[in-house]
Amino acid sequence: MTTTAAPQAPPDRGIRYFARQQTPWSWLALGVGIIALLVLIIGAGAILTAHGWTQVCPEGVDRLICSPTDPLAEGLTSNELAVLCIAVIVIGAAAAGLALWRRRSVPNKQAREAAVAGGVIGIQAAVLAGVLLWFRSSNVETFARNFLDVRLLGDFFPRFVNGAKNTLILSFLGGALGMFLGLILALFTMSKRAVIRAPARIYINFFRGTPLIWQLSFAGLGVVTALRLGFFSGIDGPYRVAIAVLGLNLAAYSAEVYRAGIQSLERGQIEAARSLGLSYLQAMRFVVVPQAIRRVIPPLTNEFVILIKDTSLVTVLGLAFFQKELLGAGKDIYSSTANATAFLGSAAGYLIITLPMIRLVTYLERRLRSGLTSVVG
Amino acid sequence: MNEPLARLEGINKWFGRNHVLRDVNLQIYPQEVVVLIGPSGSGKSTLLRTVNMLEEPTEGKVFFEGQELTDIHTDLNAARTRMGMVFQQFNLFPHRTVTGNITLALEKVLGLKGDDARRRALEQLGKVGLEEKADAWPSQLSGGQQQRVAIARALAMQPVLMLFDEVTSALDPELVNEVLGVMQELASEGMTMVVVTHEMGFAREVGTRLIFMDQGTILEEGPPRQVFADPKHERTRAFLSQVL
Repeated sequence: MTTTAAPQAPPDRGIRYFARQQTPWSWLALGVGIIALLVLIIGAGAILTAHGWTQVCPEGVDRLICSPTDPLAEGLTSNELAVLCIAVIVIGAAAAGLALWRRRSVPNKQAREAAVAGGVIGIQAAVLAGVLLWFRSSNVETFARNFLDVRLLGDFFPRFVNGAKNTLILSFLGGALGMFLGLILALFTMSKRAVIRAPARIYINFFRGTPLIWQLSFAGLGVVTALRLGFFSGIDGPYRVAIAVLGLNLAAYSAEVYRAGIQSLERGQIEAARSLGLSYLQAMRFVVVPQAIRRVIPPLTNEFVILIKDTSLVTVLGLAFFQKELLGAGKDIYSSTANATAFLGSAAGYLIITLPMIRLVTYLERRLRSGLTSVVG
Repeated sequence: MNEPLARLEGINKWFGRNHVLRDVNLQIYPQEVVVLIGPSGSGKSTLLRTVNMLEEPTEGKVFFEGQELTDIHTDLNAARTRMGMVFQQFNLFPHRTVTGNITLALEKVLGLKGDDARRRALEQLGKVGLEEKADAWPSQLSGGQQQRVAIARALAMQPVLMLFDEVTSALDPELVNEVLGVMQELASEGMTMVVVTHEMGFAREVGTRLIFMDQGTILEEGPPRQVFADPKHERTRAFLSQVL
């Protein structure tokens, strides 16, 4: 509780300290490496921008004569870019050489780290420049036309937004259904009665053991086409089937997550609750589940990210034009324009949705870990 | 003597092929402080946990206040509200405050209203000297404080029998006495207690009956001072010479 020694501030190991430990040689290696990378990024950006990334073609001009990506192809094939790449390779190699040569003769760890970092950055810049040089020697014009047509992304922007909307609807409705069913399934798998455990296990093994694309196809064929169940027929039929199957599939996976979370609690928690006279269900509801939920939020979010990407599989159900999710929208645009840049739009859409969630998982996991230490200590 | 509060008859317990309780009979009378000692693996904790049926005996009957707990028609939850239990690992609910730990069963099991439950919780916290920690979280307390909260949690149900399962074994040595002190006071108020412990001083000073268990059987029992001074059985003698 009480400490006699006065609290001592930890030694300053910040960026200023790091800078003070450097020698001229370590500064040089670090500087040259960074310069190589900056020259590549700024130089290539400037050259491509000077030529232009895209252009507006006059109405009615043949696409073989004028393509929106012609300026970009011109920039990529220009001699300036080739010279720039070679220069970057030379500078990067120089940084690497400096680091290799000087890394043992620096006076301290901080200086060595800086020199090595400079060398590594230099190598990275040189490799990138080499790849660019190699790419430049290929059929750049065709590639740019079919894959790098940013104008197309702008033209079809509303379609991508609609696709993202549908991806989110499918994910959130399917996710809510799956996480609710999953909790019930998890409680079933932990029952002491085999007649309750067995069906839950069969369900989970079936949905984990067959591909989601098979589940979607089968449900689409069986429910929509053959059974014609009221709720799952009509124009919204396939869309509702998609949500239901995504939910049923996630339930199997989330059940395992919940089960692991609940079983990670000490047996003593439930024993303490039972010894106070709480029934099994009360102990679950007031003691076990509230604690387990906290532990399963990061892995459940993970399952949710997987679900977001898996919504792309609903294309097998043959959704209507306005029901298309991100990949479906990209495919549609690809078939009407014969331009694969559409797929880049889909990828960008997925990343915009999933990256924040992946960050959230990392954050929650770190917070949970620090929380646990205080519980134990 | 009057009727026993709890009675175990012909208890046998197997964990798999492991025979941990062998035909054990035990009666616990009101106001007794029964202390169970013995080497690890002797079955003393299992026996204690059989009293409130956290451990179901494979064979034999358990009675509490004249009611057979091993009868499947018995409402075990109702019987358990009359028996408090304190564990080696405290087992406080980490997602509830100190008061929340105590009020949970008061509200959900006994049906007390929020204010009444809180009042009773504070009263019990006062008894274990932790009133000022009412709104703290379990993780903010020392081991000894956590264990005292666990005792208050059990006492708030106003049980007629308290079961203590090696409640000081997980504590740092300097924290042991604050918990033993609370238990001693409880005994002096006439609470019926069954205590599994390695604290021989407590057994001698507070216990009214000492039971030595070995290999799943009660080998020897009697007034603590007598057993300590003159153990009848060779095994008891060997065990006591190791721990005293």
